[in-house]
Amino acid sequence: MLPLNAALFLSAILFAIGTAGVVVRRNAIILFMCIELMLNAANLAFVALSPYAGIDGQVIVFFVIAVAAAEAAVGLAIIIAVFRHAESVDIRNFSLLRW
Amino acid sequence: MDFYRSHWVLTFLVFAPLIGAVVALVLPAARARWVALWTGVIELLVATPLFWTFEPVGAAMQNEVALPWIPNWGIYYRLGLDGISLFMVLLTALLLPLMVLGSWTYIKDRERVFYAMLLALTTGVMGVFVALDMFLFYVFWEMMLIPMYFLIGVWGGKDRIYAAVKFFLYTAAGSLLMLVGILYLFSRYQALTGESSFAYGDFLSLPLTSGEQAWLFAAFAIAFAIKVPVFPLHTWLPAAHVQAPTAGSVILAGVLLKMGTYGFLRFALPLFPGAASADTTVLLFMVLGLIGIIYTAMVAAVQPNAKRLVAYTSVAHLGFAVLGIFALNVQGIQGALILMIAHGVSTPMLFFLLGMLYERTHSYEIEDFGGLAASIPIFALMLVFAALASIGLPGTGGFVSEFLVLIGTFRVQPWIAFIAASGVIFAAFYMLPMVQRTVFNSLTRPANRAIPDLCGREIALLVPLVAIILWLGIYPRPILERMEPSVGRLIERVETSRFVSTPGEAVVASSASSSDEGIRE
Amino acid sequence: MTLDFASQADYLLALLPEIVLSLWAMLVLMVDVFQKGNRVEASRPVVAWLSLAGLVVTAAANGWLLTIEEAAVTGMVAVDSFRVFVNFIVLIAAALAILISIGYLDRRGINRGEFYALLLFATVGMMLLGAARDLILLFLALELMSVALYVLVGFDRRDPRSSEGALKYFLLGSFSSGFLLYGIALVFGSARSTNLSAIVPLLPSLQESPMFLIGAGLLLVGLAFKVAVMPFHVWTPDAYDGAPTPVTALMATGVKAAAFAAFIRVFAVGFAGIYNEWSVVLSWLALLTMFGANLIALTQGSVKRMLAYSSIAHAGYLLVAVLAANAYGAAAFLFYLLVYTLMTAGAFGIVIANSRGANELNKLDDYAGFGWREPLLGAVFSIFLLSLAGFPLTGGFIGKLYILRSSLEAGNVELAVSLVLASVISYFYYLRVVVVMYMRPAPAEEANRTVLLTGPGQLAMSVSAVAVLALFFVPGWVLDVAQRSVASLFTVPGTFFGLGP
Repeated sequence: MLPLNAALFLSAILFAIGTAGVVVRRNAIILFMCIELMLNAANLAFVALSPYAGIDGQVIVFFVIAVAAAEAAVGLAIIIAVFRHAESVDIRNFSLLRW
Repeated sequence: MDFYRSHWVLTFLVFAPLIGAVVALVLPAARARWVALWTGVIELLVATPLFWTFEPVGAAMQNEVALPWIPNWGIYYRLGLDGISLFMVLLTALLLPLMVLGSWTYIKDRERVFYAMLLALTTGVMGVFVALDMFLFYVFWEMMLIPMYFLIGVWGGKDRIYAAVKFFLYTAAGSLLMLVGILYLFSRYQALTGESSFAYGDFLSLPLTSGEQAWLFAAFAIAFAIKVPVFPLHTWLPAAHVQAPTAGSVILAGVLLKMGTYGFLRFALPLFPGAASADTTVLLFMVLGLIGIIYTAMVAAVQPNAKRLVAYTSVAHLGFAVLGIFALNVQGIQGALILMIAHGVSTPMLFFLLGMLYERTHSYEIEDFGGLAASIPIFALMLVFAALASIGLPGTGGFVSEFLVLIGTFRVQPWIAFIAASGVIFAAFYMLPMVQRTVFNSLTRPANRAIPDLCGREIALLVPLVAIILWLGIYPRPILERMEPSVGRLIERVETSRFVSTPGEAVVASSASSSDEGIRE
Repeated sequence: MTLDFASQADYLLALLPEIVLSLWAMLVLMVDVFQKGNRVEASRPVVAWLSLAGLVVTAAANGWLLTIEEAAVTGMVAVDSFRVFVNFIVLIAAALAILISIGYLDRRGINRGEFYALLLFATVGMMLLGAARDLILLFLALELMSVALYVLVGFDRRDPRSSEGALKYFLLGSFSSGFLLYGIALVFGSARSTNLSAIVPLLPSLQESPMFLIGAGLLLVGLAFKVAVMPFHVWTPDAYDGAPTPVTALMATGVKAAAFAAFIRVFAVGFAGIYNEWSVVLSWLALLTMFGANLIALTQGSVKRMLAYSSIAHAGYLLVAVLAANAYGAAAFLFYLLVYTLMTAGAFGIVIANSRGANELNKLDDYAGFGWREPLLGAVFSIFLLSLAGFPLTGGFIGKLYILRSSLEAGNVELAVSLVLASVISYFYYLRVVVVMYMRPAPAEEANRTVLLTGPGQLAMSVSAVAVLALFFVPGWVLDVAQRSVASLFTVPGTFFGLGP
């Protein structure tokens, strides 16, 4: 079986990549994908931990998948709505709202 | 005379103006000034007997009441009257009808709101002087800001918004720190006794270390010093005075500034006697008072605007009050109290007169006048009298008060007293040229020839002020008598603590004097 | 009645208000659809009133919760009066949002039944958030709330500002969910449970575990995003500004209330054992939020945006209450939240009243002469602003006083003084609106501008204003209730509030 540390390490790396992507990238779709990556990193951690911490971990993953699907539906719809106005999904173009 | 033995007289004095304000808002605009006038007259008539029903024996609070308001926080509706607050209450009640008369024709738009604000302001001021619950006191203290803010900001002069905002922010900023101080006292009291209380009397018995006293005194003193205003914090005052409508200037000079000195006497000194009587504190405030006297006198002397000039004289006069308070002896504090009254009638009189002049000529610039004695002799007479009263000519209240203050100061800091005495001469130096250039000299402007002299209403509102100024100057004894027990009590408190407090040790204030019960209940 | 969650059916009772509201939201959706058929047209007014009725029924169910107790504190949902109090606040916020949206939606051409249904679903999420005693339930509640809100923010999809706000809110909101979820995973791994009551006894041993501490830290970041604490606030002004104003009102009040309730449950109750660790971080966040938000609010030319920053600043004040770490802290928090909800929702209501047609631009100058043109609404707005500033005669003063008191009692003198200094800054911008309303003359062409707030909205604003005043003059009862609600919260042994069962 895969050692726990290795699995957790992988999930941490995935999470870090996702976070870094959100911070660095400017395309709304890619940002969204990075966020999905973060959620899935958490899923991986839950699954990896469940042999040690209880079966709950695996159940949680299904909840998270459902939530992520709902988020994806709404999120993509918002991105489309924005695209209709701006003809672009580059978030640098969105500056109607500025402090 | 049960009414005058119970708290009802105080409750009435505090809330009658508020009721008047509501009535003024509801009735048609033309009635508003009548409502305000009647409220003021009733207020004055109800307040006046207090002078005789007040018993000048013992330092105990009179007409006390404590009704639960927010009992689970120990907040009570606590009022009380002593020799220090009595005269502030009377002064406020006196000025209210006069202010209404002074605004009679001056205010032409939004009369309803104007008079409602004026009356609400009176409620706040009255409440500050009689509240004995720190929470209640703070509420009144802040509450009076809103109407004053509107009075300046809506009915004021050209730069009214700047002046109103400056006034509001200065005062509010200072008092918020005081709020933290009050809450600190509250939590100390709770830690000590396990009970919640905001009562002034309870806080008096709270033992505080000298470190705590220093911080708390600073928090309170800044709030009060802004209000007085003590020298470096005075810059809001000229702006507010110049821009405010006459009634606003009158109540500002007449009573609002006294809330600062009153706060020192009622709260900052007795609550933190150790910090207040420390040598550095005394010296600091005396020097600041002195700077206030000399510096503002010099600034006043070069003002082209008569109203601004009078505003600066307020700072100078209250510099004397600060000197007297921090002399921490009977003469000094009594002098400060008399000065608060004397200044509370003479400066409003000046503002009234300038307001009347403004109504006629639409100018406060000294340049625009000259030789008015020829065209409006009654006005000229009154202005000369008010100016002399402000300078402190013997026979007026100003003289008595400044004299007492100087004696008190001389006993502790002879040099400061010596320099301050020159401030009296300075007063003549800025006031007399102003009078000369407005009412004497030659009448150069043709427009000033045709202006009407004071009418009956205007004379009627000035006469009481004249009478009180003379009374204070000639026979102040009844007033001093009524103050004496409370002042003595205050000094005793500060004096005893001076022996008890050594750095780092707790000042057990309650054991410091046995007559504490007087104030506590 | 006592619930011990031995049978799953007990959860149905424990979740009764949420279940009622969920079903009602679906009913609202159905009624709307059956009324309109396949025609494209605005919803009937009855939909809005039906939604309000749903909130009233839910409030009744919520009140009923007070009569039941739980046998232990191990259930996933808490059944305590803290939750009931928070639920009431959330329901008030939702009701105010609906009341001010009547007429507003028609004007913007977005009067669709889905708006109300989504609003109710978001409310369900908020209620669950205040009840969650399990981190997974917390995550689900948060998502239920957030997903509905993403849609609501972008509800006017023809308006680029609305869409843009939704995009920003969505991206940063789900970003923060990622943090939250990863934090939960780490806490789960180290504590072997996501149930807070199971975690509490383990805290002494977990104190040293880096995995747990990192997990708690990520949780903190995730929640900080949701309550919009600086520097995790970047989405707030844009989302608040872009969203339709009733949604903004709901986000500023209900969402904040619920997220802060979760904050209290997770950190003040659950992670009380590591208070020393998180209090340091939170203190700095609170300081940054109070000063930063107030300073930025000073520079705002738009009233709506100014109010957005003001709500961030208030999150800082609420953090001070959370940090107070004594019995008064949580009670102060509840009381303040109630006042805050009334005054903030009220202020946004006035923003609607004074907007121009469909154009939502709300410059400060648009308020010139507003106070004299609309004496009632002007006075009401002044009350809200003074209350937001924490001025005496308003409930905001008592609330702020309560927070200060709890903070002083906890020995956090620095935080109390900072709160006061930050309030001084806030005086500037609240006062500026009053200045413009009363002291600057209205432009001549504005003389007969109509107020764009319908009768029900105006009534709601007036009632809120009266309530804000009442919370100053007769706060005793509410203070009592807040105090008792908190006592029931801290029955978990070993909490720093030190109030035993």
